[in-house]
Amino acid sequence: MKRAIPAIASIFVATLLQAGLAPYMSIGGVTPNFLLLVVVTLALTTGPTEGAVAGFVAGLLFDMLGTGPLGPMALVLSATGYFAGLLHEQMFAEGWLLPITVLAIAALSAEVAYGLLLGLLGEGAPFWQSFFTKMLPAAVYNTALALLVYPWLARFLRHERPMKTFRRLA
Amino acid sequence: MKIQRTETPGPRPGWLILFVALAIVLITVWYRESDTGPLHRVQSGVQVVVAPIEAGGELLTRPVRGLFAWAGDLGVSRSQLEELRKQNQSLRVRVAELEEARLENERLRALVDLPKARELQSVAAHVIGRPTNSWDGVIVIDRGSTQGIGVGMPVIGPQGLLGQTVAVAAGSAKVRLITDQRSGVAALVQRTRAEGIVRGSIDGRMTLDFVEMDARVKKGDVVITSGIGGIYPKGLPIGEVSEARREANALYQEIRVQPASNPARLEEVLVIVGEPATVVPQGGE
Repeated sequence: MKRAIPAIASIFVATLLQAGLAPYMSIGGVTPNFLLLVVVTLALTTGPTEGAVAGFVAGLLFDMLGTGPLGPMALVLSATGYFAGLLHEQMFAEGWLLPITVLAIAALSAEVAYGLLLGLLGEGAPFWQSFFTKMLPAAVYNTALALLVYPWLARFLRHERPMKTFRRLA
Repeated sequence: MKIQRTETPGPRPGWLILFVALAIVLITVWYRESDTGPLHRVQSGVQVVVAPIEAGGELLTRPVRGLFAWAGDLGVSRSQLEELRKQNQSLRVRVAELEEARLENERLRALVDLPKARELQSVAAHVIGRPTNSWDGVIVIDRGSTQGIGVGMPVIGPQGLLGQTVAVAAGSAKVRLITDQRSGVAALVQRTRAEGIVRGSIDGRMTLDFVEMDARVKKGDVVITSGIGGIYPKGLPIGEVSEARREANALYQEIRVQPASNPARLEEVLVIVGEPATVVPQGGE
């Protein structure tokens, strides 16, 4: 339970920022996704199961803040959290290039998956128009924010664990 | 000696499958239930909790946004100033003409004893929230069901139509903008009375669809609500035609519309109350 407190606190703060600050950080109609940043960082620092749980909760909160259907972002962030968490063992405490690359790929994948899912549900827009006006700019924006946020957030979320595998020492 | 297992547990895809299944169930239930169903009520409940946070964000960021707006306005060039002066002059002439027409209209109405045009009752509201994500063209206002606001009511800004309320809580309501890709408004071109549907898009641009090829539409034409469909009252300004094209072999013209109101800078709006309306989840009217 003690290990879950930083994760819960991060998702809570990210939800507050998404509702109160993100709308005013919008550039050309593209709004940052703080919940995505928290989910991927959490997954990279703790693992796939935790990533999937955090992704589902954060995605559901994201869906609740909007006027669209409940569930699409929960589905997308669950999968994003899980797959990002699979790389958890490859992360080094002092490295930043790999996590930022993973964050950039995860941000783009999540945006594309969300757009496709909305399209499937009849709520979306033409794919290439969405890709160039929303998905790609949002992924770039979120990655730029991740450069600022990731080092601090990862430090806050990382569990104190002994080095257990050879791979982590390598 | 027994060697201790030191590897961390491997991935458990069961959790992912569980959450994906749960999300699919949620999506299905959300679409199948009515607007008063449990999931919609939960979403409205969250709106009640989040509205003060959104209002706080609006208040805290106002000085910074004001600074950016001021800095942006500093960039007005001499040619733009000249253009604005010319525009001001032509508008003065137009106002005088319209005033004359208004007076004439009043005299004619009195003459034939026409009933006064339908008075629109409205409730003023402050904008307390902007879209929380890139996909949702929605603003939040600080008036809700306790002030008589219901779902499906038209919302206007100082320059014209803004959108329609789509979710209402006790002290706040969400307004889907006409620029959102899920919005559609029955409209007509004021000058030529050509009818069509104004639709929003993912990038916030608006188009006037289904206008016949033989209808005369040109850049600068004012587009207003036609009142067809019964959601929006007739005659509310929607915007101006910014581009009109006729493609060979096309069924309809391609018309782009510049919205009359810019929601990014809006601080106050009016909700037109009184008439019951219906929300059309896709495509508006």
